[in-house]
Amino acid sequence: MELFRLNDVTFSFPDAEHTVLQGVSLTIQEGEFVIIGGASGSGKTTLLKLLKQELQPTGELKGEILFRGKPLDEWDERMLIEQICYVFQDPDNQIVMDEVMQEIVFGLENLGYSNFEMRKRVAEMVHFFGVEAVLHEKPSELSGGQKQILNLLSVLLLKPRVLLLDEPTSQLDPVAAKELVLMLERLNKETGMTIVLVEHRLEELYAMADKVVFMEQGQLLYEGASRDVIEKMYHDQAAQFLPYIPAFARLYMEFEPLPRRESIPLTVKECKQWIGSDEMQANLPKNVKANRKDSAILLEMEDVHYQYKKQTPFVLKHFQMTIRKGEFFTLVGGNGSGKTTALRAGFGSIKPQRGKIRYNGRDLAKMKDAEWLDNIAYLPQNPRTYFLHQTIEEEMKSISSRLQIPDANMTIDKLLDTFRISHLRSRHPYDCSGGEIQKAALACMLLGQPDMLFIDEPTKGMDPISKQQLGELLTRLQQQGLTIFMVTHDIGFTARFAERCAMMFDGEIAAEGTPDELFKGNYFYTTAINRATRETKQAEVLTYEEAVATWSAPAII
Amino acid sequence: MGNGIHSIHPFVMFFYYLSIGFFAMFFNHPAFLLAGCLALAAVNLTHDRGTAMKQWMPVMVSMTLLIILVNPFINSRGTHIFFYFRGKQVTLEATLYGVVTSMSLLMVLLLFISLNIVLNGNKILYIFSRILPKTAFLIMLSIRFVPLLKRRLTEIQDVQRVKGMTIKQGTIRNRAKSGMSILQILLAWSLEEAIETADSMKARGYGTGKRSPYIPYRITKTDQNWLIYLAIFFIISVAGGFLGYGKIIIYPKLGTLHFYPLDWVVFTSCLAVMLFPVLVEGREQLKWNYSA
Repeated sequence: MELFRLNDVTFSFPDAEHTVLQGVSLTIQEGEFVIIGGASGSGKTTLLKLLKQELQPTGELKGEILFRGKPLDEWDERMLIEQICYVFQDPDNQIVMDEVMQEIVFGLENLGYSNFEMRKRVAEMVHFFGVEAVLHEKPSELSGGQKQILNLLSVLLLKPRVLLLDEPTSQLDPVAAKELVLMLERLNKETGMTIVLVEHRLEELYAMADKVVFMEQGQLLYEGASRDVIEKMYHDQAAQFLPYIPAFARLYMEFEPLPRRESIPLTVKECKQWIGSDEMQANLPKNVKANRKDSAILLEMEDVHYQYKKQTPFVLKHFQMTIRKGEFFTLVGGNGSGKTTALRAGFGSIKPQRGKIRYNGRDLAKMKDAEWLDNIAYLPQNPRTYFLHQTIEEEMKSISSRLQIPDANMTIDKLLDTFRISHLRSRHPYDCSGGEIQKAALACMLLGQPDMLFIDEPTKGMDPISKQQLGELLTRLQQQGLTIFMVTHDIGFTARFAERCAMMFDGEIAAEGTPDELFKGNYFYTTAINRATRETKQAEVLTYEEAVATWSAPAII
Repeated sequence: MGNGIHSIHPFVMFFYYLSIGFFAMFFNHPAFLLAGCLALAAVNLTHDRGTAMKQWMPVMVSMTLLIILVNPFINSRGTHIFFYFRGKQVTLEATLYGVVTSMSLLMVLLLFISLNIVLNGNKILYIFSRILPKTAFLIMLSIRFVPLLKRRLTEIQDVQRVKGMTIKQGTIRNRAKSGMSILQILLAWSLEEAIETADSMKARGYGTGKRSPYIPYRITKTDQNWLIYLAIFFIISVAGGFLGYGKIIIYPKLGTLHFYPLDWVVFTSCLAVMLFPVLVEGREQLKWNYSA
């Protein structure tokens, strides 16, 4: 049965020159798992919001949107609320109540259900999700993944026919993201619920999706089954979409002499089967130590211990770390492993209970902020917190006047040019996309010519293109002599751009080395392409780029 | 939901605290009040072995001492005169009045320490949601945002500190300026994020009709029995109080502190109310230890 039908939908915001959606036609069948991809600003969120009557943005809408054969506004309001449910991007913003249980029943309360019905639905759903243990906790004490499950649960109690999700995993770490996606797959398979998912991280989703849709500048560019779309995108060699193809599928298209659509690998398993397993003894892990840089130590932490409260366990214990001048150092680790705490200790935002932190040989505890903070910069997860002024240009001017930079205007122009954001100079920071605002914040920071840059989870919620641009930008800055200390759980990004990384576990650094040394051979803490190429006839690789560079001949099948 | 006193329906507990509060104001016989204080101390001991009470100990002791010491010197009513202090008479009545007042205040304080443990957060909100549903909902919403705002504030402070804006170092003028800027960012950011919160509420049907609040607590047979128990003894105590039992006359001339037989009846029924949580916990203990 046809659930949604969009006929030539065009949408534009009031007073905007460009249309956000341009002639979009799409049908969604009952029970389908649909994935919508595309760069930020391609209109996918607007498309999703148009499907949910209560969230429709104000603007001019042409064309028609039919839900089960009838236009949306002809349906009863209450029925639409129940049948079409929506989960947002940020796990925190959606939660309104102070207790998990209250939050779960929030929708049911609003719609005036009886207590009998509420209890029945809660009992059933809570069991299915296995969240009994946290029912009486406060939402603020849950992890990001748990919060997003709670949001999902809260709308599922309304027994929707279709679930719309707007990048629900963008704020989660890979493990939590995977859990959520598996939950969605299970819902789709076991209850036949229709799921429409807007997402950047597509690698695992291709195997689950019945339909994949790609958008660019408000238009549907590709639409169809996963393998069809991959094949079409590869043949078009559309540079803006190539990063969306899973790395192993891309390798298949690249190295398979006679690629066939039906056998494009969508999972690690399929890719391994394609390459063929290695009959020979698996390569023993190499014990080579790459040449270490011997430049001077910039930041050093020695036996650092830290706990937030006296009763809580230590977040950092026996934490040792050295970062040398000019390095691109990355700290990876799961949620709650203490990596962000380590970063914050690095720029002196928290004072460790025990241990020493030295910047450029001087003890942080003995320095005044003003003595050294001008030499470092910190790019937070949410760069909005950086901006104080109405426009990016004003912000830069105020910084340069504070730092008394000569020829401020010229420096600003030059920076905006190198970051390719000159067109944003008079825009309000909040009106920029995630990638743009990050670049703007970086440009502002570089005005002070810092020696060291601290970065916290820079790739959260970013589309693959912006990620690539950021990676290249950081590499360029590093080549110009900037020392970078990054904290992330994005292993793909780390593997491609970092120079040295360390894995954090239980408050200390469990292992450190180059991305090659650290990630190759792991089961989970590695890239999908590494899992797919391990113990196969081809050399083990971490990234697509590495495979293209090292695999000489097409695979012998 | 926990066991023991925590499993009792919030309304029963609320009634209990109301009665105790009433007793603290109503009776003024020192023996009654002392018994009340001791009973409430025992109640607090059963909650958490007196951890919360210990934290409040300095406040309780200093408050009690202050009232007992100060009252006789600022109040000179009464006929039994101890001595004269700077021309003013220090009387037995005023001293006793100080003792009575301080004990009654102490009782209220102990009541709130216990209430804070038993009727925490959502239970108290639940009670108010039955009386003032909209206000309770609004309070719930606001409470939820406190940890969120706190987290955002830390994040902003981190970023702005590295930028040179801090409220921890520098001249007072600069600190104030930084503080304002930080709050400004917090406000702008939170308002921006609140749009999504509003959307999420709308998407789940908020404001479409009358809300039917979820009732997380059900009155069980045990709750009913306890409520009847409390009500009976409360009525006996209050009736006794209106007949003058459990009360003494302090001003203008101290009456007798003597206990009549009916005083004992009122006293016992008062204790029966005040010791209710101890009985609940004790019953639970017995069941644990001696039932098969």
